[in-house]
Amino acid sequence: MRALLGKKAFLVLLFGTLLLLPFGANKYYVFAANLVMLYIILALGLNLLIGFAGQLAFANAAMYGIGAYGTGLLMKHFALPYWLSAPAGVVIAMAAGTLLALPALRLSGIYLALTTLAFAQFTFWVMTHWTSVTFGAGGFVPPPIDFAPLPINQEQGIYYLSWVAALLLYIVAKNAMESPIGRAFVAIRDRDVAAQSLGVDLFRYKALAFAMSGFYAGVAGALYCGMLGFVGPESFDLLQMVMHKGAVVLGGMGSVLGAVIGGTLLTVILELVKEFKFSIEIAFGGLLMLFVLFQPTGLVVFVKRWLPGWEERLHHAEDDGAERAPVAADGESRPQTQAGD
Amino acid sequence: MSAALRIENVSVSFGGVSALDEVSADFPQGKIIGIIGPNGAGKTTLLNVICQMSPPDKGEVFLGERRLTGMKPNQVAALGLRRTFQASQLFAGMTVLENMMTGLHLMSTTGLFGAVFRTRRMRDEEAEMRRRAMEALDYVGFAHFAHRPGNALSFGQQRIVEIARTLIYEPKVVLLDEPAVGLSVNRVAELDALLRRIRDERGVTLVMIEHVIRLVMEVSDHIVVLSSGRKIAEGDPSAVRNDPTVVEAYLGHQAHA
Ligand SMILES: Nc1ncnc2c1ncn2[C@@H]1O[C@H](COP(=O)(O)OP(=O)(O)O)[C@@H](O)[C@H]1O
Ligand SMILES: [Mg+2]
Repeated sequence: MRALLGKKAFLVLLFGTLLLLPFGANKYYVFAANLVMLYIILALGLNLLIGFAGQLAFANAAMYGIGAYGTGLLMKHFALPYWLSAPAGVVIAMAAGTLLALPALRLSGIYLALTTLAFAQFTFWVMTHWTSVTFGAGGFVPPPIDFAPLPINQEQGIYYLSWVAALLLYIVAKNAMESPIGRAFVAIRDRDVAAQSLGVDLFRYKALAFAMSGFYAGVAGALYCGMLGFVGPESFDLLQMVMHKGAVVLGGMGSVLGAVIGGTLLTVILELVKEFKFSIEIAFGGLLMLFVLFQPTGLVVFVKRWLPGWEERLHHAEDDGAERAPVAADGESRPQTQAGD
Repeated sequence: MSAALRIENVSVSFGGVSALDEVSADFPQGKIIGIIGPNGAGKTTLLNVICQMSPPDKGEVFLGERRLTGMKPNQVAALGLRRTFQASQLFAGMTVLENMMTGLHLMSTTGLFGAVFRTRRMRDEEAEMRRRAMEALDYVGFAHFAHRPGNALSFGQQRIVEIARTLIYEPKVVLLDEPAVGLSVNRVAELDALLRRIRDERGVTLVMIEHVIRLVMEVSDHIVVLSSGRKIAEGDPSAVRNDPTVVEAYLGHQAHA
């Protein structure tokens, strides 16, 4: 019974369903399921950066777009095959992400948020206005992708590539966060000055966090380009960034599993909202606000509380408030949150 | 007796206001050195300069023969200089054990590749860090807190964990910024015993800023007195206690307050 409710069982069920889905479901569900996997990848990457390393960055949609544009444009302008253009698109997105670590070394909080937001808006502007290269606001259709000699079409090929990528990137995120790298990220998030005083190189780990999130967003972008068979700027605007952030907040900041849950749920909610022709902005903005106000630690905290076997190594601070009181009963007050010295 | 830590003619000013003015001092190996002085005397600033968290306008800092000035704080930490802070700096999102393991961050040699593929070497290092972290918690009698979140402990408990965390990587010199502030009387006594034990068993040089004069006088081997950014006296506790300049600085300060 325990094992059936555990996180392993959840992951097997989720990825098993996603693996088998194309054999039974219609085209629309396959598309939605592919989108689920992209949002899992996006949420995993963004969570490494904001949830674990605590860098309040707003450029994830831009890096997603750079991955998609990089891949698509290399195919369109230079007739590169997908298996070359996709990795190149990922590398370009990762490089752009790493570049953002430079302001992050000097800035934090709202200033970092604004700087990365400016970068995202600049990227969006380039996508819309540099028509000779990007084809402008109307977007473009990249050449079809050939999976020969495999006996699968583009839709199936991208679907299973997404499946493999989501699974591998989940494992990468989990293993990295259960290592000294994860502790360094969380140390920087919680107390960067103290982290440094223990030998953690701030620049190195901030750069790593930005590079990893750029890599994840780039992979999702490259897959998106192949999945949709169309690339246009409106897919990478501010609303898109809010969705990525929403997936992370929904699932749980600083939780690898939370990102999987959040990415999945976000897509389901989005599709339902579309189905009922409700305004995405209102539905989503409202939901996000509710979570930020009332459940900032995300859904994963509920799951951890009610189901056995969902513990994660680097837990979020607010996880187990219920157990605290007896520990502090030695006649001293618990410190309030304090600014650094 | 060689100096574990040496500062030479350090001056710092903030927007024209001088916080430290030509301060020099030698901190002898394996001793507890107390730094005292009225509020705003420049004690914390001195610690920040020593561990390269704020650059001096002038002057040099040496750890043994190594010149520290201009290094990054994490490089200084790698050379064996560690510190605690005036406000608690435990990582709230980690357990106490993970906090301690972060103190061993520099032990890790495997990087992203080792982590992602969970190589043999990475797993061995991780197990060794875990073992040493447990051992260090045991040393301060806190092994039973290992799996509690950092912020579930009381102020005093957090203090002790922080001190244990600075000691875990076998540093040469540890700087403590007001370790007794806000502690109950019992815990101050515990802290007192712990500091002596660290000095005697590990041979670590401890540099401690302290407001609780009784604690400083009791545990320090050597005391440096700062006032308005200047070093006004230095010596063993009994000498400093009876130094008229020191008495005047403290009384003068109290008269103002
Ligand atoms: N970051 C800073 N900016 C401006 N002034 C500062 C800063 N840090 C310390 N000071 C000033 O420098 C002086 C010494 O401060 P500090 O070293 O914190 O004293 P202490 O720790 O002895 O109480 C004080 O007058 C304080 O106001
Ligand atoms: Mg101070």
